[in-house]
Formats: sequence, structure tokens, C-alpha cells
Amino acid sequence: MRCLSDVDIQAVVDGEASPDHRVHADACEACRQRVGERRQQMETIASLIDADGMPSTMAARLRQAMSANAGRSSGTGPAEIQGSTVLRASAPSRWRSVGLISAVATAAVIALVVYGVLPRLGAPTTLSASEVLGRSLQTISSGQGVEQLEYEVAMDGMTDGPVVIRQVIDRDNPHRYKVASYRPDGTIATAVSQDPATQQRSQLFRVDGTNYIVRVGAIHTPVLSIPQMAQALVETSIGVMQAKSDQQLTIEDGPAGRRYVVEIPPVTPQNATSTLDLFSARAVISGADFRIQEFAATGTMLRQPFSVSVKLRTHEYVGGAVPADSFAITPGPDDVVLDGQAAEDPVTELITTVLRELGRARGK
Amino acid sequence: MVTTIASSWMKAVDRPLGATTPTVDPQAETLRLFQEHGTALYRFCRSVLRQTGDAEDVVQETFLKLLHHLQHDGDTRNLKSWLFTVAANACRDRTRWRLRWLPWNAERDDRTVEPDVRLQPDTTEIARRAFRALAPRDRLLLSLRAQGLSYKDIAGASGIREQSVGRLLSRALERWRKQCVA
Repeated sequence: MRCLSDVDIQAVVDGEASPDHRVHADACEACRQRVGERRQQMETIASLIDADGMPSTMAARLRQAMSANAGRSSGTGPAEIQGSTVLRASAPSRWRSVGLISAVATAAVIALVVYGVLPRLGAPTTLSASEVLGRSLQTISSGQGVEQLEYEVAMDGMTDGPVVIRQVIDRDNPHRYKVASYRPDGTIATAVSQDPATQQRSQLFRVDGTNYIVRVGAIHTPVLSIPQMAQALVETSIGVMQAKSDQQLTIEDGPAGRRYVVEIPPVTPQNATSTLDLFSARAVISGADFRIQEFAATGTMLRQPFSVSVKLRTHEYVGGAVPADSFAITPGPDDVVLDGQAAEDPVTELITTVLRELGRARGK
Repeated sequence: MVTTIASSWMKAVDRPLGATTPTVDPQAETLRLFQEHGTALYRFCRSVLRQTGDAEDVVQETFLKLLHHLQHDGDTRNLKSWLFTVAANACRDRTRWRLRWLPWNAERDDRTVEPDVRLQPDTTEIARRAFRALAPRDRLLLSLRAQGLSYKDIAGASGIREQSVGRLLSRALERWRKQCVA
């Protein structure tokens, strides 16, 4: 075989050459040298291009644009984007299933902020910062009775789609609650329950189709509960919202009654230094009871960018008359139950219980 | 209906989830693809457009179009190629627009940027200048290849025949090499 042309050499470098050409390039000293030179040249060009790092704010900027885009398109049909490229005829979507990160605690915190506390602020107004803060602090602890919520949460990391959260909270006792998350296909993902009355705490994780329940008695109290975490986050959130001077209020009167839409217009992300910062936020609030029906926000928390969208499905107060097991996880017949010992926090309980079980299984 | 094994314990709040629960979130998928391909796409745009601001704009536009694409059940096969195709088109549009109205740019203003004769550029700088001096199509092809696209994907993104990609890449590389030694 003759020596390869420049185009053939290029194809060898790019991994697009025919098998014959590849064999020749390996065997022929002259061609092998030309391949090496050309490969080095391509690597030089690649290094020039790769020297350009993407700005760290790009991700936040994209989230912000997506949020703004969603806001524009909602209620008016699909957003028209000119110049989008259609490659071929559409085929049914085949989404790759990646591991679901169902952050029950995080989702519950967000939901508690949205549905549990902010509604008690009253109607959206342009009150001064000190007035809003005063009302919020006053109303944070004003809930009474047992509250049941169901809502949908989509946030960064949930690559399988939004999860549905169901929770029962005793507003009179913030340490008494049960929260569960469900995957889009309806199967449970995780759950946690705690009841100081029975001194029991349980955590459930579904792994490979089996529910594993870690159950602990004689729990130490107080452990910082999800509602308390929510309260801390609420105070920070209110402080951040106060700092925003450009809230926009829109009143919508529809068949379902009056709704208030409060928006914080997108701002250019700066280097976040505070615990929580909002780049954009949008809340849809019922005019009947001022409960937030939808909430979407982008920003940073602990300097990490986040994007979250929450939609309330159902909500009701059931008073104090709830079944005794409302704040417990009752195992099913096929569930695996691991009994552990109480620790200072649920994470330690979980890890030590699982490790002890592993040790027993290995005969330690 | 909810098909959980432990559904009994949640009966206090357990209800059917409903058939309308979305099984996929286009926003989450868009952000995942941004994590996966965003940097490569930005480098490609920066390389072709030679301006940071324009590159950022094109990357953002491209992923917004991706979101729109996913929200409307667009084809999800080879989304990497899709992204580079959309970005390449956007880069071409911007380049054409610049030809009609070209803002002042020190980087491109040969009259005002006097070479500093006291400093001899190193080989990396020579290579960079040579690359910038290439024709837009040569930069486009080399940039796409540098981001790991196959000839087939390069053909799709650049609008040239697949059979011509190797030849044009080879010539582009040769022109760059000559620029380096000029």
C-alpha cells in the first residue's frame, strides 16, 4: 500500500480512518511519524480552545433565564423561540434513568417555608421590611393542630423528575411529624417520622425494590426537627425578601377566585456571600386564605446555586383527632426493619444501625 | 394508585398520585446536560466568536432552545450533536450580524493594537494568533473536532457533507500550521 495522504492521516488522528489505513499507519514508519505530528498539532489547538474556562456564573445565569422563560410562557402557551433546530421527526422520549436524589428534608423545609409559614404573612403588600419581618416572626408559631400537606417539588439534582411529598405535622409540637417522598411512578422513595409521645423515630429508604426501615426508641429530645430547620430558613428567607425592593404584584381574578402573583424580577447573580440569596422568585397566592399555591425560585444557599419549584396539591387541618400511628412508620410484611439505638442526630443513628447490622451479618 | 409496599402506614395522607404526574422534568434534564456539555459548548463558542460575552449569550440561547425542544417532546437521540448544531448556527448568525454592524473591539483593531516589539511572543501565543487568523469556517471545524465531535456530527453542525469533513479539517490544520511559521 502507498503511503497515506494528508486527508487519510487526518482521519487516522481523528479516529475515522478505515481499518486498512489504520494498519498501514501503524506499520509504516513515515506515516506513523506524520500521524504523531498531526496529532500533536490537533492537541495544541485543543489546548488553546480548552484554555477558555466557562465563567462560574454561567450556570446561575442559565437557571435564571430558564425561570424567566417559564414565567413568560406560563398561561400563554409554549414560548416561541425563533431559530430552534429540529433535527429529525420527533420520537417518543426515552429518558435515561439516573439515580434519584430525593432530599426529603430539604424538600420538606422548602415546603414548610412556602406553605407553612409564608401564608401567615397575610396578603402580599409593599409593607416595609421591618413590618414584614415583625408579622412573619409573629405568625411562625401561630399554627395549631395537625396539618396535612401534599405537594410536588422539582429541584436541582432530581434527575428523574419532580417528587411528590406528603407530610403530617403537629403544629403544636414541632418534633412530631411524618414526611414521605414518592417518585414520579408513585413508589415511595424515603420517609422519616418522629413522635416524642412514643419516643420513637423511624427512617425509611427504598433500595432495589425493598423498604428498609431504621427504627429507634427512647430518642433524645430535642433533636432539631424539620419544622425547626424550616423556621430558621424562613427567618433568613424573609430577610432576603425584605432586601428586595422591586417586588411586583399582579392580581388575577379567575373562576377559582382571586390570586396574587408576587414576583421578584431576575437580577444578575453576584458573588454570593450570604447564607441565602435569591436571584429570582415567583409566588402564586390564593386570595381566599393567602396560602401560597405555587412557588419557584433560583438563587444560592450556602454559596451553592439552587433552583426549586414547588406546587401545592392538597392541604387541610385535621385538628387534634388523628390516628395514633399517624406519626409512625408501620412496616409492611416485606419490609426490612433494623432496630437501632438513639443517638444525637438521625444521621448518626442511621449509619451506626446499618454498620452494626453489617457487622452482625459478617459474624462480628 | 400508589404501589408502595408500606402504603398502609401512610394511610393518613395516602391518596392516588394521579395520572398527570410528569415522568420527566425538562428543566432538570436541561441543567443536567448543561453540566455535561456546557463547558465544551462554551469553549467552542468562545473559539468561534472570539468574544466572551457573545459566547455566553449563545450558550444560554442554546440551552433555552434545548429546554423548549425537550418540553415539546423533541428527538432526544444524540443531544450533544443537537447542542453543537444549534450553537454553530447561532455563531454563524452572530458572525453575519457583525459583518453588517461591527462594534469596536480592541482585539480586532489592528490599527490601534501595536505589537510590543520588546516582547517576543511564546509559541503558545503564536499558535493562538495563528488560530484567530484562520477563516471562520476553519475555526468552526477545528473547534468542533477539538470538542470531540465525530465527522458525522461535525457535518451536521457545520452544514457540509460528511465526506468533505476530513479533507476540510486537514486543510484547515495545514493553514494553521503555515500561519504559525509565517
